[in-house]
Amino acid sequence: MTGRVIVITSGKGGVGKTTTSANIGTALAKAGNKVVLIDTDIGLRNLDLLLGLENRIVYTIVDVVEERCKLKQALVKDKKNPNLALLAAAQTRDKSAVTQEQLKDICEELKKKYDFILLDCPAGIEQGFQNAVAGATEAIVVTTPEMSAVRDADRIIGLLEAREEIESYKLLLNRVRPNLIKENDMMSVEDVVEILSCKLIGIIPEDTGIITSTNKGEPIVNVEKSLAGQAYRNVAQRIMGEDVPFLELDKQENAIIAKIKGIFAKLKGKV
Amino acid sequence: MGNSVLEEKGFIIDLSNTVTTEQLVSELGSILELPEIKNKAVCLKLGNIDLKQSQLLSIKALIESMESSIQSVVTSSDVTKLSAESLNLKITEVVEMPQNTEESHIEPQEQIKTDFIEKNENHVNDIVENEITGQLEEITEIIPMSESNFQSLAKKEGLIDESSLKYVPLDTQDVIENEIEEKSDATDKLPTLYMTQTLRSGQTLNYNGNVIIIGDAHPGSEIIANGDITVWGVLGGIVHAGANGNTSAKIRALKFNAIQIRIAGLYARRNDTINVPFVQKTSEFTPEEARIDNKQIVIYKTIRRD
Repeated sequence: MTGRVIVITSGKGGVGKTTTSANIGTALAKAGNKVVLIDTDIGLRNLDLLLGLENRIVYTIVDVVEERCKLKQALVKDKKNPNLALLAAAQTRDKSAVTQEQLKDICEELKKKYDFILLDCPAGIEQGFQNAVAGATEAIVVTTPEMSAVRDADRIIGLLEAREEIESYKLLLNRVRPNLIKENDMMSVEDVVEILSCKLIGIIPEDTGIITSTNKGEPIVNVEKSLAGQAYRNVAQRIMGEDVPFLELDKQENAIIAKIKGIFAKLKGKV
Repeated sequence: MGNSVLEEKGFIIDLSNTVTTEQLVSELGSILELPEIKNKAVCLKLGNIDLKQSQLLSIKALIESMESSIQSVVTSSDVTKLSAESLNLKITEVVEMPQNTEESHIEPQEQIKTDFIEKNENHVNDIVENEITGQLEEITEIIPMSESNFQSLAKKEGLIDESSLKYVPLDTQDVIENEIEEKSDATDKLPTLYMTQTLRSGQTLNYNGNVIIIGDAHPGSEIIANGDITVWGVLGGIVHAGANGNTSAKIRALKFNAIQIRIAGLYARRNDTINVPFVQKTSEFTPEEARIDNKQIVIYKTIRRD
């Protein structure tokens, strides 16, 4: 078995790389794949929090690299899904603790046993980014419909194009707010895709449920009713090669707005 | 949008592209929103649209409400002429552009004047010492303008003398030859780098010669060449043509959206008031070319009317 190694990156911080990693990883595992999530954000680890696995971490990626433990020992199994494992980052070290070669070796070894290896990349384009990208052959570029995030994504795509080992990269547009797009206050999905001239793998709507899910350590893909969760499940299916249509965010929003308007109209009538 | 060109004394409102009165009114409305329109002598270009006296009167009132007055009216419509005469407005005849019969759909090269740029002559040809903090004049909006009418009006206004204006149809062979004779450092003798790739943010291209890019140059990218730079796409990054001081270098693109363009020792920057984060791609891009004319960077644009 040779697994696929996918790096999730963005350039800009705070656009949802870690959330995306946790959710896509969980969704892929739920679909029956064997998945490892690797947190490469050494010194600022978060992925374990999102998965609710912080208390289970014994060994980290730095311990593996410095041969204080075996790779297998450092993999933390998910609470719910035995198909999902996490290789956590060390919080007490920095990005220089791991080299590109070492990360490549880890990925090569994990490839043999797992279907998907997802690398959660740190923000920025320095060593942390270089390390994370070194092991991967595919990339998902996360961006939000803001000019600064789009510019940074453009820069990242340029850097990914320059790397021979990256065979394909796709765009994931996060925190989309259809009502803002409608009022022309936000760039539309089409605008972003056109600016970046990059293939889209998913559109994730803004969802306040993400905040609660992050705090609880429970990925939102586990929440059946959540729209963002559905969007992430769709992304996972697209990664697996299925042709899933994009969610029609406009329509859903319209229905809600129509409802609210209907309620207001009724209230007015009563007064 | 209608085309207008700002000059110190006069203001030309070009509405000759409009077909219906509704279009005309909406375009006029959008132009009159510009703050520069106040206290100006306005030249109104109306094309061949028929305007009744009452309609023209309301347009006049609209312009006068902006504390400006109509200096003259350019029209080819007899109805509009009569209306203008009855309102005691000066009528200027339309000067027809020479038509190129072979390529009838392409209008001859037209000139846009942009203000801008570093005035200090000593800095020309000397990039290293060219300081970014040099004196600048505001770039006015880069808006196309029919040269023939611009000439006729500007001459009348005494704004320009004829010798400073050249009518340059770029597709004519003899003109190109003349240009080469004029400039010994013609860029067509340089090698050319041909790239079929979009330049993304952070990517830079340095080349000792001409550069042709089939694709866009995204904001944040940088192209520096000793010769010409041609971008077959939207130019959003910073470009420096003739970087070794070659003042005959040119920059061409389907659409200029650069925050700054540099040729030899000169640079022009985008007007602060034009804040376009990104350009919507359309099928209506018209190629633009920037070059140094009379120690200023001038952007030329072909205007398509189909």
